[in-house]
Amino acid sequence: MREIIKIDSISYSYPEGVQALKDVSLSVNEGEFLGIIGQNGAGKSTLLKCIVGLLKPQKGRILLKGEDLDDFPVSRVALKVGFVLQNPDLQLFSMTVRDEIAFGLSNMGFEREQMETRIKEALEMVGLSGREEEYPLTLSRGERARVVIASVIAMNPDIMILDEPTSGQDYSGSIQIMEIADKLCRDGRTILVVSHNMSLIAEYCRRVVVFRSGKIFLDGSVGEVFSRPDELIKTGIKPPQITRLGNALRDVLPSAETILRVEQLGDLIIEKVNRRR
Amino acid sequence: MALPTSYIPRDSIIHKLDPRIKLVIIVCITLLVFITTKFLPIGILFFSLLVLWKISGIPLKRILSYLRVLVFLFLLLIIMQAVFYPGEKVLLEPLIPEAVPLVGGKGNITLEGVLFGLLLCLRVLTLMCIFPVLLATTTLEKITLAMVKLGLPYRVAFTATTAINQLPVLQSEAGVIMDAQKLRGFMVFETGRFLSKIKALHVLVVPLVMGSMRRASMMGIAMDSRAFGAFKKRTFVDEINIERRDRIALAVFSLFTGVILFFSF
Amino acid sequence: MGYEIVKLESVCYSYPRNKDHVLYNINLSVKKGEFIVIIGENGSGKTTLCKCLNGIIPHSERGRFRGRVLIDSMDTRSAYLSEIAKKVGIVLEDPESQLFTTTVFNEVAFGPENLNLPVEEIKATVKWVLEAVGLKGLENRSPATLSGGQKQRLALASVLAMKPAVMVLDEPTSQLDPLGTEEFFSIIEELKGRFGMTIIMATHKTDEVLPLADRICVLHRGRILACDKPEIVFSTVDLLEKIKIPVPTCFSLSNYLKDKGGLNINSFATPEEAEEEIRVLLNHQEKY
Repeated sequence: MREIIKIDSISYSYPEGVQALKDVSLSVNEGEFLGIIGQNGAGKSTLLKCIVGLLKPQKGRILLKGEDLDDFPVSRVALKVGFVLQNPDLQLFSMTVRDEIAFGLSNMGFEREQMETRIKEALEMVGLSGREEEYPLTLSRGERARVVIASVIAMNPDIMILDEPTSGQDYSGSIQIMEIADKLCRDGRTILVVSHNMSLIAEYCRRVVVFRSGKIFLDGSVGEVFSRPDELIKTGIKPPQITRLGNALRDVLPSAETILRVEQLGDLIIEKVNRRR
Repeated sequence: MALPTSYIPRDSIIHKLDPRIKLVIIVCITLLVFITTKFLPIGILFFSLLVLWKISGIPLKRILSYLRVLVFLFLLLIIMQAVFYPGEKVLLEPLIPEAVPLVGGKGNITLEGVLFGLLLCLRVLTLMCIFPVLLATTTLEKITLAMVKLGLPYRVAFTATTAINQLPVLQSEAGVIMDAQKLRGFMVFETGRFLSKIKALHVLVVPLVMGSMRRASMMGIAMDSRAFGAFKKRTFVDEINIERRDRIALAVFSLFTGVILFFSF
Repeated sequence: MGYEIVKLESVCYSYPRNKDHVLYNINLSVKKGEFIVIIGENGSGKTTLCKCLNGIIPHSERGRFRGRVLIDSMDTRSAYLSEIAKKVGIVLEDPESQLFTTTVFNEVAFGPENLNLPVEEIKATVKWVLEAVGLKGLENRSPATLSGGQKQRLALASVLAMKPAVMVLDEPTSQLDPLGTEEFFSIIEELKGRFGMTIIMATHKTDEVLPLADRICVLHRGRILACDKPEIVFSTVDLLEKIKIPVPTCFSLSNYLKDKGGLNINSFATPEEAEEEIRVLLNHQEKY
């Protein structure tokens, strides 16, 4: 697998003096679905902003596909990295969904005719086919978030970064967004998701990075990270409820892998009960 | 980012002054800046304000961020004055050759012009240093109370100070929106020219206005649920009283005004 | 549990220029000291319902409102908003837009000041309220410098200072991180336990609030589909799946064990109950 993001011991301090990142190194391979978790203020958002060049780390460097993007403006980096912000309403300004998605494409220099296919494909991807003429601000919250995601997908980036995409979304809205990310990942894109929703992280991510006061505290597969509740609690994070239950029942229900789903634990119990019968 | 309008909790003498006295002093200083046309009094005013900044706990470094914002205006002011201000001491020969009809031979850059431009810049900078002193040392609630005691209706005073309070929120939101649009490959904010930036403003303004409207309606609910405007009369937990130190401050300031006026004419 | 403190009688509401009902024929009565959790998709009418409870609808928002909302047998249509505000407090989703003063102290004092209460009384109120939400010692801080969780607790404190009997919370933790959420819920638990406050909360975080909830009210397209004890509501899985509401983890495990494994067990709501029940189940089997 090819390395697509290489973060080489970067440090970043805000002008007011808060050091948000302390000597962070991280390597992400092409096609990974990476979850980033940690309390607010632990450095997650700062890291994402450094990756797209909104912030310039004072120390260290970041390579995207082997290229040092230090000298490029953010709007150039955006061609390689799609970034979906937490609040969709902070970027919607057009009168129609089509124009909203066309905005990024016209920034890339596309002609009107070339855009149409891309707009159509992007809307299909997020399940909003045929909604081109609608006024974005009258859409539901979940739909507005998906319009923003579509506008990023249309630009066809290799890396997609989603910063708390499910905050303020209901259950089905969250699932829809994560399903889109999953689809993009299966298409070969690299996905980075920041979220506070541990169940979704457990369900969709393959690898998890835990931040704690500006440093990477844990890094491993979902199962590995969530099977260490004692260490996680130091970062103020609890594994999903089902994982905690599975961990608590370890003595009577030994299992090689970490429990991440209800069915997993349910099957274990049923199996044990049936065996004893 | 620390903004020029934010309150700095401290226990300085300026924090303790009655906000009405501070309001009066600030209005007077503003008038003084408009009256004076000489370097010495403006210099004294500017320096005194810096002393007040220091006492209030405002980091002096913030002047630099003002300068960064104002640098173009200042350059423009200096160039305009340098070229058009009538003066004797010519530093540079006419910019426009004599051969050009009508305007030929005009546009001498004079020492007086440059100095006058610099003076203008210093006055603008001094003006900008005045308000932070009030806002850094006085909670908006006390300013509201002072305005009410000076005779303004509570609703008007509350609206005025709340608007000031919302400026930092708007500013940070504008920052996020600009970042968001840059991330969609929008280059104008980063590399565009002044005119194209103006033309692209709707990309920033539409989400900003929509966001403010949403926030305003939320804030309305929050205010209603806290009985805003329930009675004609309302308690103020803050107390403001004119005390001895306020009288002394006023006396010292009057003396200071005299000095400034003396040097001005 | 006491008398009926909130009563909604066939409440219907639709926004101006839109015929569709946002709320349709809502009947709900809440007893003093009850903890009601409202669940439903975005757009199901949760926020509108919350606004009806404290009189924002019909007072501040135009639209067609029918039916009656009685708070402590006071009709919200005829009462002044400030009178309702003394009985019902509301905390919204976005902490920022609910805070508009320059110090934590002034923020909490704002409501009582509007009620024209004596200064000494206000100071005493601010003191205990800040203690209750765990923000003691931050009186002089600017709200803007607080963390998200602290901001939301401050918003709660400034509503508590009005000493309402009913607290309405509209997705109060949706913008908080896990630690902030936990701290917020533990304060809500205290309000219920120590002060017997009536609480009505709309939320998506069912796993976290489940141990506190007396009743779960399912809202779908402006109608109440079910309003009952958690174990009853969450055993009707088909209904919930149809309207895309997740069953909380523990219930979904107990449902799974019953349906898939054919096991005869009690439903469990919290991880503690679940652990106990499962241990009993496995031990019980071991005896044979």
